[in-house]
Amino acid sequence: MSRLDRTRTSPHQLRPFFSSQNLLNRADGSAQFDFGGSSVICSVVGPAEVKIRDEKLDRATIEIVARPLVGLPGVKDKTLERNIRETLEPLILSGLHPRTGIQIVVQTMKEDGCILSTAFNAAILALLDAGIPLKSILASVTCIIDSRTNQILLDPTIEETTHAKSTHVFVFDNKVSISSINPEDVAMDEDSKEPSHTGILFSDSTGLFTEDEFFECANACFKAAQAVHGFIRTAVSKKLEKEYQQTRA
Amino acid sequence: MASSTTASLAASPAFTFSASTFQKLHPTEYFRKFVSQGVRPDGRLLNSFRPTTVHQGVITTANGSAMVRIGGTTVVCGVKAEVAEPKLDAPDQGYLVPNVDLSPICSSAFRPGPPSEQAQVVSDQINRVLKESNVLDLKDLCIEEGKAVWSLWVDVVCVSYDGNIYDASLTAVMAALANVRIRKPTYEEGVVKVSGVDNTDEDDNSSFKLKLARTPLSASFVLFDTSLTLLADPNFAEEAISEGQISITIDEQGKLCAVSKVGAATTSLTSMRQCVDRARERSQELRAIMNQHQ
Repeated sequence: MSRLDRTRTSPHQLRPFFSSQNLLNRADGSAQFDFGGSSVICSVVGPAEVKIRDEKLDRATIEIVARPLVGLPGVKDKTLERNIRETLEPLILSGLHPRTGIQIVVQTMKEDGCILSTAFNAAILALLDAGIPLKSILASVTCIIDSRTNQILLDPTIEETTHAKSTHVFVFDNKVSISSINPEDVAMDEDSKEPSHTGILFSDSTGLFTEDEFFECANACFKAAQAVHGFIRTAVSKKLEKEYQQTRA
Repeated sequence: MASSTTASLAASPAFTFSASTFQKLHPTEYFRKFVSQGVRPDGRLLNSFRPTTVHQGVITTANGSAMVRIGGTTVVCGVKAEVAEPKLDAPDQGYLVPNVDLSPICSSAFRPGPPSEQAQVVSDQINRVLKESNVLDLKDLCIEEGKAVWSLWVDVVCVSYDGNIYDASLTAVMAALANVRIRKPTYEEGVVKVSGVDNTDEDDNSSFKLKLARTPLSASFVLFDTSLTLLADPNFAEEAISEGQISITIDEQGKLCAVSKVGAATTSLTSMRQCVDRARERSQELRAIMNQHQ
């Protein structure tokens, strides 16, 4: 079955990724991440001075500013800011930079579905570019369940989202969480064939769906997130290779 | 001689704390001591919720209202119906506008001024549950297509804040929406007339109730410590030291309406399943409490 955007043949296919790091001159780190027609640019400034009121004695203050494609930031952007901050804050080793501030600005450039996922991926690339010490790397994928076919569609476009009965955003990190592997998990793994190491870092689902559909989506997104992880890895290693060649020349 | 000194030192440490001082200095360690014994400082078991009450119709001047108490958290929700002009791209749909207010009244954690991020996020979560789970058909709020529709202002005010504001607010919103009575309007030559006396209690034909397709109710949990122990219905202190939060919103048929997980810790699918199972029990308890007071 072909997807509504006609470039994809499988419901589990993602749109082509694109990323570009270090494209803003005045920021300490920046990155752009695209999922097909969706594009988010993200800048990181820091560790820098922080307002006395926001200063934390034992770690850096992380501030996220989300800017929409058009108009002024609203309630939606506040939710986006909160989601990204709550997820990134523990990932950043902020204890290494006490009493400083790290500001992350997320600007939507093109909107065609999955903005939250695109923003997550752009933010992690920008943090890598800025050289902020991180505990692990995250990757995010969105999926919907189509109301007509009950099929899970990964990385939907806006057009596909209008037919969704539910929307699910997931973030997974690249470390196998030791705490999530306990005997019960392994036992369950054998009969339900669920990867026991699937640790959800962030999840946000709305709509109407059953418990089984939710876990099916989680597993589909987990598999797809591995591709995003691989892409981020290649992007970073290519960038470092280029930098190394430039310094040698 | 030397050995006796160390022995006496071990027996009586240089200084001791009272339990409440210890709690203030090392909140996480204090909690850990309780959690390792399978209880919480307030006497609850790890998966038990605080006592909950729901009262409907507490504000007589509103079209619908409810007050919900979950332990130390109290919220009041009022629904006011106003006649408004519909949007051009949706001429037959009314408005449903939820808003959560966390003012300095309810806790010293909130400052006066524009709505805090938390208040905006809770408002947005409730808004998304109401819209995306099709709780109410907005076409039911139409008075005259393209001319006049009902606009429902759903305002939640927190009176006392002790954690788990999302569960409390969503319960209050659903109870208040179930309580709404709106007098039947008539539309004549550009004027909307609302007839009858302002008596919303009586079961007459002059007013109508909202047709709610479903009643989503939620259950929230926090993950505590590196062991990622699940604590149901977190209070303010538990929220502050949590490693992550999980909220499950479920309707009466057992369908999920929203799932959210935020925070530092990664959650295994097994603990997500535990949360969903517990949320299922909890939403039934909550539904029983809601119907009791109706």
